[in-house]
Amino acid sequence: MDGAERDVFERGLRHAVEAHTGAALDAALLELGWRDALAHDTHEAVSVFFTLQGSAHVSSSALDRVLACAIDLDVPPSSGFVLPPLGRWDPPGELDRDRLAVRGLGTSCLPAAATAVVVARAVNTDVAFCVPTTELTLRPVQGMDPGLGLVEVHGTVAKDALAPEVVSPSWPASVALAQLAVGYELVGAARTMLELARQHALTRTQFGQPVARFQAVRHRLAETLVAIEAAEGVLDAAWEDRSPVVAAVAKALAGRGARTASRHCQQVLAGIGFTTEHEFHRYARRVVVLDGLFGASRALTRELGADVLAARQLPAFAPL
Amino acid sequence: MELDEFRRSLDDWLDQNDHLLRPGGAAGATLDEQMAQLAVVKRLTYDAGFMRWGWPERVGGLGGSSILRAYLGEALTFRGLVEPGIYSMTEVLAPTMIDYAAPELAATMVPRLLRGDETWCQGFSEPGTGSNLASLSCRATRTDDGWRVSGQKVWTSLAQYAQRCVLLTRTGAPDSAHRGITALFVDMDSAGVEVRPIETMHGAPEFSEVFFDDVAVPFDRTLGTEGQGWSVAMDLLPHERSTALWHRAAYLQQRLAGLLGAAPAGALEPAAVGEVAQLLFALRARSRATQRRLAAGERLGPETSVDKVLVAMAEQAVFDLVADGLAADVATGDDPDAARWRREYLYSRAATIYGGTAEIQRNIIARRLLDLGSDR
Repeated sequence: MDGAERDVFERGLRHAVEAHTGAALDAALLELGWRDALAHDTHEAVSVFFTLQGSAHVSSSALDRVLACAIDLDVPPSSGFVLPPLGRWDPPGELDRDRLAVRGLGTSCLPAAATAVVVARAVNTDVAFCVPTTELTLRPVQGMDPGLGLVEVHGTVAKDALAPEVVSPSWPASVALAQLAVGYELVGAARTMLELARQHALTRTQFGQPVARFQAVRHRLAETLVAIEAAEGVLDAAWEDRSPVVAAVAKALAGRGARTASRHCQQVLAGIGFTTEHEFHRYARRVVVLDGLFGASRALTRELGADVLAARQLPAFAPL
Repeated sequence: MELDEFRRSLDDWLDQNDHLLRPGGAAGATLDEQMAQLAVVKRLTYDAGFMRWGWPERVGGLGGSSILRAYLGEALTFRGLVEPGIYSMTEVLAPTMIDYAAPELAATMVPRLLRGDETWCQGFSEPGTGSNLASLSCRATRTDDGWRVSGQKVWTSLAQYAQRCVLLTRTGAPDSAHRGITALFVDMDSAGVEVRPIETMHGAPEFSEVFFDDVAVPFDRTLGTEGQGWSVAMDLLPHERSTALWHRAAYLQQRLAGLLGAAPAGALEPAAVGEVAQLLFALRARSRATQRRLAAGERLGPETSVDKVLVAMAEQAVFDLVADGLAADVATGDDPDAARWRREYLYSRAATIYGGTAEIQRNIIARRLLDLGSDR
């Protein structure tokens, strides 16, 4: 996409997230040609849309489409994906002798979908199964963030009834793309939190002046911006490096950055940010859940550290 | 010259000339040794052409993208051929000369800096002027045959080695703040200049006090015009936060690799290592984007304060990890390797102080990037 095309693309998506959420947003994305964009310019489609989705605090099943794009299987367009359980990034399916055990999460489209794509690790390869959703138990998640529309999925299906398809590229490549998508959503949410806190700091008056005058307040907001920019920088760089390691670093920085943003912005918003009168709490809830999708920052950080210690060197990254 | 070609030919050349580039065996333990090593490396890389790429032809360069300079510093740093702090002074001071000196002065002087014939220093801070740079009081008075400068500077890096100084002076009324500042290019061997090195906590007298007692400076040594000194300073600071910072990131990576090789098994926590590695990824991604903006001719500004906050965090995080992973070396070791780790650990404590404190960077971010208005 060139600059002008990107602007038109972004404007269309911005209108969509401002007007719709859930199934209506899925329909709007279809109409806007976002799925085609995803296939042709994955970078722009993912970075622009997921930032907007996070920023507007809406939900969709765009993550399912990202996985479909990454796995590159000819799955029915209406099928949903089973995501790993919260905090994890290994495949959500497990094969034993004659059965496929499924445990994970789904986005809001899964209850209405006829089939769910489940990836499982087989010997030396990853395989995908299209499982009729009627074979699975779905529980709508309320939890920390009911508006996200997640469902919890579990079930055991006889393998004979299913046709496995080899997944190529393998699961780690799909995880990497999903991590970038959720990473941008976290960055979008964090930017909105920062803007809410910024507006409050400029208008809330204490001791005869806006609280934005106080260095303690200014520095919290400055640190929030640094955390967001750090995460976004690695997210953007990840498209060049195309390595699962970099995507995991980006996701970890986005998760940690969004939680840093949440902590600082809540403190700046003070009393009003603790009420449901103010929209801040919706973002604070969302980033906790998003941090857990496809690997929480803490676990991803520990794993990276263990890998670096084992190799006794840093992976090569971001050549000029 | 494209980056790929430059990278290939430079890497080959560095492989072939390693013995010439490293006459003393290593980058050197003392500042004197490091300065001598730097002069060797600059001379050889200049004569081979590599040091000239990325600089305009009118100051002795060969043209091409500033990305080439970023790669040269990275390659020299990764190989341990230079200490990046002293190497990168060129990246800070040469652009200032190119932008603000009279063309013939820049054409004469910049090649000397690039070739390592000369060392230059930067006279900004004063005893009463740290974070509040616009309050400086070192006085330049206009006379019939030039400026006369009287006053004092402090924390002037490498002043005891320097032949020239980019000096900020007060030419307006004492309370003229940022409006009454003029930048001068001063010969350090002028009568009335006195340099006293400062003993620092990390053991290298990297900074000096510099005294000016009625020092004569010709008018043609004015950088920009009278009263334009604040612009000179504000344009210089983003250079401290771009290519120089990329070199610093390369140094931090190289030292983290050294730590991973040297730390005893079990001395480092995976979570702590992961967090430092992520910070270096973030710094490098951010700084690469800045290098590209610089190369594309964009004017760098307050957004480079984000880069600066990241490099300071990364530097202290790397050496905090050193203090944990090589605790015995840092605390009680007396061999040369231990002494180096200790010196670098101690120097890292200054990362949130020099070149604009961590607090000043956050003030800039709050005011200029977040538009939070004045804090006064």
